[in-house]
Amino acid sequence: MAEDLLKKVETDDMEELLEDDSQKGMYMTFQIGKELFGISISYVNEIIAMQPIAAIPEVDDYIKGLINLRGKIIPVIDVRVRFKMEPCEYTDRTCIIVIDVKSTMIGLIVERLADVDTIAEDNIAPPPSLGRKEHEHNKYVFGLARTGDTVTLLLDPEKLIRQDDIVTAMEEVRKEEQS
Amino acid sequence: MAEEFNTESMLDMFLYESGQLLEKLEGIILEKQDADCFDDADINEIFRVMHTIKGSSGVLMYENITKVTHKLEDVFYYLRESHPDDVPHMELVEKVLAVSDFVTGELDKLKNGDTPDGEEKELVEDLDEFLGRLKGEIKKQGIQMPQANKHVEPTQFYITPVAGDDSHFYRISIHYRSDTQMSNLRAYSATYALKEVAEDLLYTPDDILSNEASADVIVAEGFHMLLQTKSSKEDVIALIDSSEAEEINFDELSKEEYGRALSEFGREEAEPVVVAPAAAKDDGNKGNKEAKKEGPKPGDYVVKTKEAGKGKTLAKNQPKQQSIISVNVEKMDALMDLIGELVIAEAVVLQNPDLKVPGLELSNFQKASGQLSKITTELQEVIMSMRMMPLTNTFQKMRRIVFDVSRKLGKDIELEVVGENTEVDKNIIEHITDPLMHLVRNSVDHGIEEDPADRTAVGKSSKGKITLEAKNEGGKVYISVKDDGKGLNKEKLYQKALDKGLIENKPMSEFTDKEIFRFITLPGFSTKEEVTEYSGRGVGMDVVVKNIQSISGRLDISSVEFEGSEMTLVIPLTLAIINGIVVQVGNSPFVIETASIKEFVRVGEDSLISEPSGEEYIVLRGECYPFIRLNERYDLPDSNDKIEEGIIVVLEHEGSQVCVLIDKLLQEQEIVVKPIPSYVRKVKGLSGCTQLGDGSIALILDIAGLLMHDGERR
Amino acid sequence: MKILLAEDDFASRKFMDKQLSRYGECDVMVDGEEAVDAFMMALEDGEPYDLACLDVMMPVMDGYQVLKAIRDIEAQKGIPKSKRVKVIMTTALNDERNVKMAFELGCEAYAGKPIDVEKFEKVLTKLGLI
Repeated sequence: MAEDLLKKVETDDMEELLEDDSQKGMYMTFQIGKELFGISISYVNEIIAMQPIAAIPEVDDYIKGLINLRGKIIPVIDVRVRFKMEPCEYTDRTCIIVIDVKSTMIGLIVERLADVDTIAEDNIAPPPSLGRKEHEHNKYVFGLARTGDTVTLLLDPEKLIRQDDIVTAMEEVRKEEQS
Repeated sequence: MAEEFNTESMLDMFLYESGQLLEKLEGIILEKQDADCFDDADINEIFRVMHTIKGSSGVLMYENITKVTHKLEDVFYYLRESHPDDVPHMELVEKVLAVSDFVTGELDKLKNGDTPDGEEKELVEDLDEFLGRLKGEIKKQGIQMPQANKHVEPTQFYITPVAGDDSHFYRISIHYRSDTQMSNLRAYSATYALKEVAEDLLYTPDDILSNEASADVIVAEGFHMLLQTKSSKEDVIALIDSSEAEEINFDELSKEEYGRALSEFGREEAEPVVVAPAAAKDDGNKGNKEAKKEGPKPGDYVVKTKEAGKGKTLAKNQPKQQSIISVNVEKMDALMDLIGELVIAEAVVLQNPDLKVPGLELSNFQKASGQLSKITTELQEVIMSMRMMPLTNTFQKMRRIVFDVSRKLGKDIELEVVGENTEVDKNIIEHITDPLMHLVRNSVDHGIEEDPADRTAVGKSSKGKITLEAKNEGGKVYISVKDDGKGLNKEKLYQKALDKGLIENKPMSEFTDKEIFRFITLPGFSTKEEVTEYSGRGVGMDVVVKNIQSISGRLDISSVEFEGSEMTLVIPLTLAIINGIVVQVGNSPFVIETASIKEFVRVGEDSLISEPSGEEYIVLRGECYPFIRLNERYDLPDSNDKIEEGIIVVLEHEGSQVCVLIDKLLQEQEIVVKPIPSYVRKVKGLSGCTQLGDGSIALILDIAGLLMHDGERR
Repeated sequence: MKILLAEDDFASRKFMDKQLSRYGECDVMVDGEEAVDAFMMALEDGEPYDLACLDVMMPVMDGYQVLKAIRDIEAQKGIPKSKRVKVIMTTALNDERNVKMAFELGCEAYAGKPIDVEKFEKVLTKLGLI
C-alpha cells in the first residue's frame, strides 16, 4: 500500500508539472450507498447526466454498456455494482463521471455527486488494514480522508477500472485471435 | 511504410531496414535489461534481426557487419534451440548492445558516404568466447546440443555504386567564328573528347554528324552541351578544342538545375527520355517516382535503337508522370474518419426527431437533403476508391514465383488464379504480399510432391495444381493458397513439435487437427530436415502469422494427407463503412451487414423443431437450419419469444446458414464501424459498434463469430 | 576465362572492356539480342561463357530479358546450377525493386553504376571466377 501511495504521489507530482497547480489535492466526491468516495480531480474529464446506455452482452455485470459521448463511444461501469453492492434504480440524481485513466476513457455511474473538496495530504490516512486486508473495498481505496465528522474514501481509479482478471481476459482474446 | 521507400536505392533500403531492425532490437534490450533472462519471443526476435542484417549485409558485402551479426545470430541460435538455464543475462545484454552499437556505427559511416571499415575482430572474438562458454554450459546442463547453426553464404551480391555525389553538372555553350568551316565536325570532336569523362552528355543540335546543315545552325546559334562528370571545370575546359571558337560559356549547375535543363534541352518529343546512367537515376527519383509504382518488369528498359547523336529513348512509353501526388496515409485516414463522422452527422440531421412534427411542410428540405445525401455518398465512394487496389499485381507476382520456383525444382505445376480483381485496402496489400509469397513458395516447395509418381500412385494427375483465390465475404477478405499435394502429416508434425519442445507433452489425441496444423507456425519449427533455398531455416511461418496478426488477420490451415493443403489468410476489410440493416431485439438495436443477409421470413410455430436437449431448428422449404434466438443468446430483456411475432433473418457465411430471431427491422443504412472500446472484453458474435442517426449505439453482429459460437456450444 | 559483355553505351563499353580484359577474353555486344545470340553460339560451340556482364538499358532486349532468356535456355538444356554462367548486371537503376527483380531472375551480382572496381573484383573472387 505504501508503495502504491508513493506511486500515486509521483503521478500527482508529474501532473502537477503539466497541469494547473490548483488541482492538487482536489477531489471530486460522490455518494454510493451511505459512503462518501473521492477521486482525484486530475482524472476527471467531465460530468454528464445519465443517458441511454447500449448494453453489451456477456460482459461482467458492472460494465453497463456503451454511451455515445459526442461521437466517441466509451464504456460505462456502475461503481455500486463494481463494489459488489446491490444495484439500485437510476434516478435523475444519478450521473456519469467521465474519467481518463492512462488515455482510456471510462464513465463511472454514481448515485449522487457530493462536492469538490480540497483535502490536504496530512489529512489522508492509509486505510485500516486490521484483518481486513482481503476485503473487497480495500483494494480500490488508497486512503481515508477525514473532514469534520465525515470520512471520504479516496479511490485509485486505475484499480477501480482494472478488471481483476485482466490478464486472463487478454489471454482469452489472444487465444481467440489465434483460433 | 515500405511503399514510401519503394523507389529508394538498394543501399537506402538496406540502411533504412537495418536501422529499423536495430531500433527494435534496442527496444527489446532496454525493456528487458533488468529482467532475469530474455523470453522465447525476444530470443526469436533478436535471432531474426541478426539473421536479416547478416543476410542483407552479406549481399551488399559489408563483411565486418556480416561477421559480427553472424556471431550474435549463432549465440541466439543456441539460446533458442537449447534453452539453457543460468545465462549471464547482463553480459548477454552487453554483448547485444555492443553488436548493435557496432552495426549502427557502420551504418552511420555508410550514410555519410564513407566506407564501413570498423574493425570487427575484437568483437567477434569476444562473442566467440561467450559462445564457447554458452556451449559449455549447455553441455553441463545435459541439454542436447542442437545441430550447428547452418549459414547459407549469400549467392547473390549487390555492388554499391561509387558515391555519385561528387559529380559536377555543367552547361557548356560554344560559339564558333562565323567563318568556321565544318563547325559540325569541330562540335563532334568536342563531344568525343568529353565522352572520356562524361557520365552524361547531351547536346544540341543533336544531328551534327548526319546532317551537314547543322553546321549552319551551330554557327548561327552556337553549340550547346549539358555535361555531368566527375572532372573539375579546368580539366573539362582543357579537353575542349578551343581553336576557332569565339566564345565558350561555361556554367556550373546544381543537380536540380541540371534536371530542369535536361528536360528543356532539345527534347520536345513526347516520350520521356531516359538519358545516360546518372541522370536516369535523378529522374527516377524525382519525376517517375509515382508513375513507376507498378514495379519494374523485364522488358521495361528496352532502348529504342539509338539514332545518331540522340540519347537513349525507351521503346516502351513510360506512363506520364503528371497529376499524381503522394499523400501521407495518415492524412488519408484522417479524411476517412472525418467522412465517417460526416455520414453520421448527416443521418442525425436528416432523421432528426424535430422533423417529425406532424403537418410540417418539408418538400424543399427533402430536395436539399437528397442532394446532400448524394454528395456524401459520392464522397465516400471517392475516398474508398482512393484506398482500394485490386490484388491483380500481387497475384501477378505469385504467378512468377510459382513459375520460377517450380521450374527450378523441376516440378510440373499449374496455377489457377481466382478473383484477382478483388479489391483490398492499399495498406493491407502491403502487409500481405510477403506472407503470401511465403505461402506460395511453401506450397510449391513442400506441398507438391517431388516425384510425379507419388501423385499418380494416389490417383492424382501427375501435374500439380495450386489455386490462388481471393474473395470478399462478410467484410473480410479471404486469400487462400491451395495445393493438391501431399498434405500435412499430423503424426510427423506432432512428433516434430514435441521433439523440438515447442508444445506441452500431451498425447496427440488431445490436440485437434487444427491445433496440430498450427504447429508449423511456431517459431523454430521447420518440417524439412534440409533447408532449401526457398524455405529458409524456421524463420518462416511464424513470421507469416506475425505479419498477418499485425493487421488483425489470421491464418487458417486445413489439410488432408495425400490430397493437399489449404492456407487461408483471413483479413479484415479495415474499411470503416459498411452497408447494414438495423434490427431490434428487446430494447437493443443491432446491425447486420447487408451482404450476409439471405432473406427475411416470418414463420409459424410449426416450422420450429425443438430437440429435447434444447437445441432448436427452423425448417424452411424443406431445409433445416440452426436457429439462434438473439434475445436468449445475449440475455436481452423485454423481447418477444413468440416466433410468429418476430422476424427470422437467414444469414449466410462461408456456405453455412443460420436463422436468427429478431423483433423487428428498423432501417437499412450505411454504418460507420467503430471498434468496441478495448476496455470491454471481446464478445463472440460482435464485431464492433456504431452510432445510429438518433445518436444511440448499436452493436454490429459478426456472423462468423455467431456461427462459431453456436458450433462450440453444441 | 570467357566473358560476355553487353553494353550499348560507348563510354561504358570502353571502360568495362578495359576492366574485364584483365581477367580474360572479352566478347562485346551492343544490344540485348546480340548478347543472347552470342551466349547461344558459345553454348553450342561447347565453349560457354564463364561470366556475363549485362547492361540493363539496351536496344531490342533489355538486360533483364537477356538474363531471363539465358536462365531459361540453361534450364531447358538442363545445365546444373553450378555450371551456369555467372551474371553480373551493370546498371544505374539502383532501385531496390530493380535489384530484387534481377535477383529473382537469377543474376549472381548487381553492380550499380558508376562501378566500384574494387568491389567488383571482390565479387569475382567470391564467385570463384578469379
